[in-house]
Amino acid sequence: METQTADDRSQTISTGFLDGARKNYPREVQYVIVALALAAITGLEIATYAAPGFPLWNWGEKAGLVSFLLLLMAIKFWTVAYFFMHLRFDKPILTRLFYSGVILAIGVYVAVMATLHGFRAGQH
Amino acid sequence: MADTAVVDHDAGAPHAHIEHDTNTGISNTKLGMWIFLASECLLFGGLITTYLLYKTPISVEQGPAPHQVYDIPFTSVSSFVLLMSSLTMVLAVAAIERGDHHRVRTWLVATALLGATFIAGQIYEFTVFVGEGMGYTTSRSSSAFYTLTGFHGVHVTVGIIMLVSLVLLSMRGKLPEHRSETVETVGLYWHFVDVVWIVIFAVVYLIP
Amino acid sequence: MALVEPTPSGPLALPSGGDTSDFKPLGVFARPVDPKRSWRKWLFTVDHKKIGIMYGTAAMFFFLIGGSEALLIRAQLWAPRGKLLSAELYNQVFTMHGTTMVFLVVMPIGAAFANYLMPLQIGARDVAFPRINAFSFWCFLSGGLFLNSSWLFGGGADGGWFMYAPNSGVIFSPGHGIDFWNLGLIITGIASLTGAVNLIVTVLNMRCPGMTLMRMPVFTWMTLVTQFLLLFAIPVLTAAQFLLMFDRLFDANFFNVKNGGNPLLWEHLFWIFGHPEVYLMILPAFGLVSEMLPVFSRKPIFGYPFIVFSGVAIGFMGWGVWAHHMFVSGIGPISVTTFSLTTMFIAVPTGVKILNWTATMWGGKLKFSTPMLFSIGLVTMFTIGGLSGVTHAVAPADTQQTDTYYIVAHFHYVLFGGAFLGFMGGMYFYWPKLFGHMLNETLGKTNFWLMLLGFNLTFGPMHILGLQGMSRRIYTYDAGYGFELWNKVATIGAFTLASSVALFLFNVFYSRAKAKHLPNPGPDPWDARTIEWMIPSPVPEYNYDPIPTVTRVDDFWYRKYAETPDHRLVRTHTIEEVAQTGDSTGVHLPSPSYWPIVLAFGLPIIAYGLIYSLWLCAVGGVVVVAAIYGWALEPPDAPGGDHGEHHEPDAGGELPADADASTSASADEKEVETVG
Repeated sequence: METQTADDRSQTISTGFLDGARKNYPREVQYVIVALALAAITGLEIATYAAPGFPLWNWGEKAGLVSFLLLLMAIKFWTVAYFFMHLRFDKPILTRLFYSGVILAIGVYVAVMATLHGFRAGQH
Repeated sequence: MADTAVVDHDAGAPHAHIEHDTNTGISNTKLGMWIFLASECLLFGGLITTYLLYKTPISVEQGPAPHQVYDIPFTSVSSFVLLMSSLTMVLAVAAIERGDHHRVRTWLVATALLGATFIAGQIYEFTVFVGEGMGYTTSRSSSAFYTLTGFHGVHVTVGIIMLVSLVLLSMRGKLPEHRSETVETVGLYWHFVDVVWIVIFAVVYLIP
Repeated sequence: MALVEPTPSGPLALPSGGDTSDFKPLGVFARPVDPKRSWRKWLFTVDHKKIGIMYGTAAMFFFLIGGSEALLIRAQLWAPRGKLLSAELYNQVFTMHGTTMVFLVVMPIGAAFANYLMPLQIGARDVAFPRINAFSFWCFLSGGLFLNSSWLFGGGADGGWFMYAPNSGVIFSPGHGIDFWNLGLIITGIASLTGAVNLIVTVLNMRCPGMTLMRMPVFTWMTLVTQFLLLFAIPVLTAAQFLLMFDRLFDANFFNVKNGGNPLLWEHLFWIFGHPEVYLMILPAFGLVSEMLPVFSRKPIFGYPFIVFSGVAIGFMGWGVWAHHMFVSGIGPISVTTFSLTTMFIAVPTGVKILNWTATMWGGKLKFSTPMLFSIGLVTMFTIGGLSGVTHAVAPADTQQTDTYYIVAHFHYVLFGGAFLGFMGGMYFYWPKLFGHMLNETLGKTNFWLMLLGFNLTFGPMHILGLQGMSRRIYTYDAGYGFELWNKVATIGAFTLASSVALFLFNVFYSRAKAKHLPNPGPDPWDARTIEWMIPSPVPEYNYDPIPTVTRVDDFWYRKYAETPDHRLVRTHTIEEVAQTGDSTGVHLPSPSYWPIVLAFGLPIIAYGLIYSLWLCAVGGVVVVAAIYGWALEPPDAPGGDHGEHHEPDAGGELPADADASTSASADEKEVETVG
């Protein structure tokens, strides 16, 4: 470790070179793998549009489709935040700060939707 | 006390990143950007909620509803482009952390180009929608749609300007490794903009 | 360098990574050299102390405007069928009064104290982003001036400070007043948001050695919670305001009922902002009182962790109560019940604070100085306002109270009797620290009693008027309803209040004149507890040298005093021994900058352009973009300003020095002197 230089692309980037990290940052190839996974999930999302009758998401009126899409969306959100934005490798305070905004936003806006009957079908 | 992170004292070693004398160990800039991004969640959340509440137009005569004019295959390609721009962005950040200035410029330019492609796709999409009768003032759902995606587009455009500025700075020799947090901070903003699109694509376009 | 670069060819292959100190600034990008002329010192400063003073001064200026609007309201309502203001003008006056007081007075005074005081309380030299700090102030000022310029350009906004849709749309309000309101508050919102990011990073990152979060003074904690509330609430308001702006300027359909726009959407978005807003107005005052009460009771704050956690709890719970402003808007029984319950719960942490303040005073050696009087004023008046608030939480009762003067009474008790009295106390308390002289005590006490009398005369009767059925937001009332007597009392009270404000202003100028003949009060005129009192008054530009190391809450107090085993307080050090002398030289500080003020005044140009002509928008846009680039590219120091000390290009000030060895002598090593 003592002789590691940052430019050695076969190694992870040591925390000594980084701003607020507690774990080494990944190698470039690991980012590419994550990107491929994200592309695959996007492909799955598009598949719900291309093949709406597929049993994996075609259940419960619209509930199945909506849940499945929301799940995929959440996975992509979390993946980008954790790997690309380095939340997994950085000090936990950053995760807590960001997620407090996310959770607050979800909380208040779901409450607004519920109060205005936004989750009921039809006009509101 | 300040510079605790130099690992390799060889002549060819990169300048190690200065460890910040901050209570959290994170630089002010990076911490500030994360806090700002947390607040942006509230802004976009409000606009998304407005869209969700106004999704269904109230009368057909005004013009088509957003769902009737969407071109999902086209938007899927756009989304994919933006997703890949996140990859090129994080590769740019990795490059500067390794002190590889040539690659950093390459990846930053790639990110900016992918972002510009996304914006071009948005503009094209919008022109088609307007041509099909869904203008900004057509209905409550169209106003909500264009406002939400417009805000997002403006954020992407500001991001592209920042990326181009970084490339120019790098070319003039003003982006050394110990300023890698500048690239990382712009990267955080860019990823956030991508993340918002992930939400918009699912919630606005895909969910019926 | 790490890589062996190939011979450069083409623009993308240029070598980079050079040292920034070679950068020769172009003339236009050079930073201002420390100006000798005083107005330039203030215009281009990035010093948090000057910025804090400017916030306070601007806020007091707007207070006079908002106060005049209040006096117009009270004069109009003196008797039935008043002729002073027409209905249209009255709507503008009460809208601008509320808007000015909330956004341009109470919030900026909180910002003033936060800016001046918080870095001192955590032992920092400045905030995390000094230029952004300057920008926040100038942006607030330009937004406030823009908003008030509506009076000159066709009339103020007239939809109420809460600006309900669709009344705020062009159909019902065709003039430009609401556009000024909207754009002006978007601009001040940018100021608040950037300030919030700045101050949060400062508290999290720039505390002096030994200052853990649970050793911070209560005021700093309350400031931190306030900034988090701002951080999350302002974007919601901004979203709503953009929707309104697009409706009014570009014919969007967000609140156009004919096209399906839902007025409740505005109400929800506004009040999701609006409720945390009122907590962020009161928390800084709570913090100030939590500093003053212990000093003048000569006891530590009772239950420090409880005071801190109740403040945090108020911050959290404040997000769950907003629809109590909407009980009669038709949201339905389930929503009403939910928000009624959450509103009742939020009384608990506030009650904890009141209890702790009272317990702080209990058994203490009370000194009824002016700051102490104002602090006790806050505790008592806020309790009254809080109690009426609890009655609003009971939704069936609120159905009778809403839109009456009973509500007006409630929020003035908590905002004026609470926040403003707390700020007055804070001003008397911190005046010596800021300006190097005390405000006159006799005038101060008179100020307090006159203000308390006027305040209660004005707003006390409004409880009765409201329960008698007098509606709010109406420009007049008919004879025969029994409203006459209390309206007259309220108007007399309002003018009494005005005279107390005049007395305060007189005290300011009088004390300044008298100060020339009086000795400097020294660093610690009140015998206080927190570390900002160990530096000279007024505070030297670099704040601390050396940066202190703290070991406990109220660290400064325990440098002066120790407790004997039988709990008597003994003085162990004189102030001369523990205070810093303030004669350091060569401390490197952030350089002043032109760009914050340029950027801040580019924004209203865009705003005027949106109302009048898009060409102006282009001009404003050019100014803004130029300012941003100037800011980004300017060198970190003024020419000749680099003292050769290491500093980081991005951070604000110098690295903290080592532990403060000279003042850490323990009580055992010094002679014990009993103090009376």
